[in-house]
Amino acid sequence: MSDPWDQNAALPPFGLLAEFKTVDELVDAANKVKTEGYKQTDAYSPYPVEGLTDALGHSLWLLPLVVLGGGLAGGLGGYMLQWFTSVYSYPLIVADRPFHSWPAFFPVTFECTILGASLSAVFGMFALNRLPMPYHPVFNVESFDKASRDRFFLCIRSIDPKYDAVETRKFLESLGPCEVQEVPE
Amino acid sequence: MATVSPLREAKEGEIIAPGHTFGSVTDKISDIVQNDTIAIGWLASLAFAFMMLNILAISAAYLLYRGLGIWGINVPVSWGFAIVNFVWWIGIGHAGTLISAILLLLRQRWRTSINRFAEAMTLFAVACAGMFPLLHMGRPYFAYWLMPYPNTFGLWPQWRSPLVWDVFAVSTYATVSLLFWFVGLVPDLATLRDRATNKWTQTIFGLLAMGWRGSAIHWQRYEVAYGLLAALATPLVVSVHTVVSFDFAAGIVPGWHTTIFPPYFVAGAIYSGFAMVLTLAIPVRQVYNIKDFITTTHLDYMARIMLTTGLIVAYGYGIEAFMAWYSANKFEVAVMQNRFTGVIRWEYYMLILCNVLVPQLLWFKYVRTTPSVLFVISLIVNLGMWLERYVIVIGSLTRDNLPSSWGRYSGTIWDWGIYLGTIGLFLTLLLIFLRVLPMISIFEMKTLLPEAHPHGHGHDTKNHGHQESVK
Amino acid sequence: MSATPSDTSIASIQRIALITGIAGCVLALLGLVIPGCTPHVFRGWLVGFNLFTGAAVGPLAIIMIQYLTGGNWGLMLRPTLEAASRTLPLMALLFLPIVFGMDYVYEWSRFEKVHHHPELVDQPLYAGIEPHDHELEHKLPMLNQMFFFVRVVVYFGIWGTLAYLLNRWSAELEQKHDKSILDRCASLSAPGLVIYVLTVSFASIDFAMSLEPKWYSTIYGAMFGMGQVLTAFAIAVATITLLSYRTEILKAIQGQTMSDMGTLLGAFIILWAYLSFMQFLIIWMGQIPEELPWYVARMMTPPWRYVAIALVLLHFAVPFAMLSTINVKRNRRLLAGVALFVCAMRVIDLVWLIVPSFDQNEKAFVASVPLFAYLVYAGAIVGIGGLWLATFLWQLSSRPMLPSYIPEGGAHGETAHA
Repeated sequence: MSDPWDQNAALPPFGLLAEFKTVDELVDAANKVKTEGYKQTDAYSPYPVEGLTDALGHSLWLLPLVVLGGGLAGGLGGYMLQWFTSVYSYPLIVADRPFHSWPAFFPVTFECTILGASLSAVFGMFALNRLPMPYHPVFNVESFDKASRDRFFLCIRSIDPKYDAVETRKFLESLGPCEVQEVPE
Repeated sequence: MATVSPLREAKEGEIIAPGHTFGSVTDKISDIVQNDTIAIGWLASLAFAFMMLNILAISAAYLLYRGLGIWGINVPVSWGFAIVNFVWWIGIGHAGTLISAILLLLRQRWRTSINRFAEAMTLFAVACAGMFPLLHMGRPYFAYWLMPYPNTFGLWPQWRSPLVWDVFAVSTYATVSLLFWFVGLVPDLATLRDRATNKWTQTIFGLLAMGWRGSAIHWQRYEVAYGLLAALATPLVVSVHTVVSFDFAAGIVPGWHTTIFPPYFVAGAIYSGFAMVLTLAIPVRQVYNIKDFITTTHLDYMARIMLTTGLIVAYGYGIEAFMAWYSANKFEVAVMQNRFTGVIRWEYYMLILCNVLVPQLLWFKYVRTTPSVLFVISLIVNLGMWLERYVIVIGSLTRDNLPSSWGRYSGTIWDWGIYLGTIGLFLTLLLIFLRVLPMISIFEMKTLLPEAHPHGHGHDTKNHGHQESVK
Repeated sequence: MSATPSDTSIASIQRIALITGIAGCVLALLGLVIPGCTPHVFRGWLVGFNLFTGAAVGPLAIIMIQYLTGGNWGLMLRPTLEAASRTLPLMALLFLPIVFGMDYVYEWSRFEKVHHHPELVDQPLYAGIEPHDHELEHKLPMLNQMFFFVRVVVYFGIWGTLAYLLNRWSAELEQKHDKSILDRCASLSAPGLVIYVLTVSFASIDFAMSLEPKWYSTIYGAMFGMGQVLTAFAIAVATITLLSYRTEILKAIQGQTMSDMGTLLGAFIILWAYLSFMQFLIIWMGQIPEELPWYVARMMTPPWRYVAIALVLLHFAVPFAMLSTINVKRNRRLLAGVALFVCAMRVIDLVWLIVPSFDQNEKAFVASVPLFAYLVYAGAIVGIGGLWLATFLWQLSSRPMLPSYIPEGGAHGETAHA
């Protein structure tokens, strides 16, 4: 164990990054990486690729629940606000309508539901994705600029229990990438 | 800058010209934003739009200085141009959300090349619409009184008033549209960041992209969030114009209080919105030479949606006139008499001509696929939809139940100034948008390419380019 | 891909439906000889007639929309929908009894009689009707028996023509597999839909809205027509999912297609709820005496008040919640269940729309509704329903259940977005 305060000590690399030219190669590689038993992996592509997260073994259930919660909170909040202000806080007879005019409360309740759900969809997605995150080790790789253009990348992280600087590189090179690079931390 | 050209022009039914690659799509769209030259045509247009924007600045400044008396409004018409223009602008905005949300849910892939542009249009149109209620308050600095907040008077908004519903509907709409637009932009901002050669633009795009890196799990959450937003925006867009129609229908002014208003207003909004998308898209695809992305197929589909919604609007006019007779209610009859033979008749005839008769040309495929003709029709529909709101607002307010409260109305030069000024605001914002942000979604365009889908995933690449109409 | 339903289950359901139908009709007709029940025979008949006319007309809209927009869901449902549209002649036939009971059903018809023969006021049926009424006289050019019958003939003529052409061309398409026929169907569908919307709007005014001849609502045609489309779609979805125990049908609809059917059913329910609620909210906000009685009868008067609450919950909330939470792709029995449930709710909705009109017009009648009248209502609805179902199943088994011609581009509308 090296001195954690030593500024000059080389950090262990973030992982190994393989670059592919086509989406087929990436999906094949992702499948093989999974069969090989790697867990700490990620893929990068310029557009959403179907089936890629299945190949990498990610699952997803939290976001829809967050959105449901946001929508319910918005709708209930909106209705309670209207009820509280017009029945309890300042009851006022307008046009012979009851204080608790539920048909008239409907539109605002609806808008608040949508607002709550939409805000939680967007901010929930960013939060779960840990964004904004201006710095990430993969950006250190020169050719990673192309991940937003026309190249596909697959990364195996060094914290993976199966990771081995030599063996993993060999394995990645066997998948037919155009390049395998080490990602500095 | 590398010149990018597809193999050939897009044929009928194709939504992207063949021969494009991931790289060429990226370059072609980003180069419009990321180049060091400033086109003289763009600059001239911006100068013109900015001039119009200054009309808004002057009119609004004078309005604040002198007060609402400079407008043509007076009892009985205290809702004049302000409401007409507000509804007109909000309606125009609706096409953007329709394209980005409803067509996404309907899996209409042709929406891809126009959604960004149309969403921007929505935002700017809502911004223009928002000007009118604000200025109409006379004291815009008290706009926050519309919001429910605890105050020393102990007062709250009047929840049984559709005008309060409108505040909630429009502000929710503006917020959700902005979110939708921004979420769609994030991956493209990352592309621009990675392509940037200039430190400044790299930093700005980098900040806005928030460190997007195209990770697979991010993409998946992104798609879920985007789909949910679309599913939320769809009822939202319907509710917004429904609530706008309640501004009229919830009252009992003859000609306003009629149950068909919500669906008919929604259809009218989409109608005018698509007219505005065409008004803008036809010159833009010409100037920026992006006919390989916005093909004649797109124009055809948009024209079909215009025809459909136009027919629903015509149904609204028809059923209103029929029901006025059927009701045997003298006030309802008087409204229709006023429209057919009364003081508002010329506006009404013009509206029927612009909104019902001329658009019937869209039944012909030739008209739907000829940009110049379509452009003219879209302008006519824009005019017609403005007239529709004018007839509804002015026609009914000047001829109320009691003849003693009848009146007359005409807009003053300041009414027109503010109206033209908002068009200036709209065009200015739009021109700046075209120059600084990608007007077509780069990452979504890539998914239209045949090589975008992994094989063995049940993807029929032959289907590429094949689309069904939306009518 | 063609499949002819040859197994016995359809035939046996058809037989049961026919027997139930005849039994129901007999029960309803018995009302004619029971004192005080005669009006209810025709009123119940009108409910059943409206319900199943919707089931016969609604398919035309869905078929034509499908020709214009594509979509695999509609392609696979088309034979079922076409079979439903071929029940139109039966519905035209079932209109005939109403001809003999116009005065029992329509207030404007009674008014027309009294207007021309004021001496009729002495008879109990016409009691209380003024021979002169400004509003009803104003409407007399439209709301009179002669013109009403002419309009009914025109409606059925137009719907029949559309159904005939769509059915014939689709049979031709199945035979010749020629894309030009598909184009012909599409070019009929665009103007066809325009005519459809107009006729359905006016028919809904004639058949249902004019029951309260002084009441009016501009959204009514759209709301009523949406209800018909929902009925038709629910029946078609229920039919095809119930028949999906056959492998060839299951193969044709499983996956995305079935999921689309569930989504669309939900969308139609939302549209119906939207249009219905808009009418309510605007009339509630306006609170003017011309419009309000319609909702006073349906939302404040005891039995109908509870029906209204039930409709909100069971016609909208429950099916909507089910369709948005269940995985329709995996749970086709549940989809069939929801679709059947929606069909049942359509009955309740139509009863709620139509029957309170009668209560309102004759307060005296309400107090003295004989117990047997309830059986008469049930008999008329079940009777027409049974006859309709038997005809529908007969037509369904007379042609293949699945289309053999799949347009180029494969499963239309199945092109997945990324």
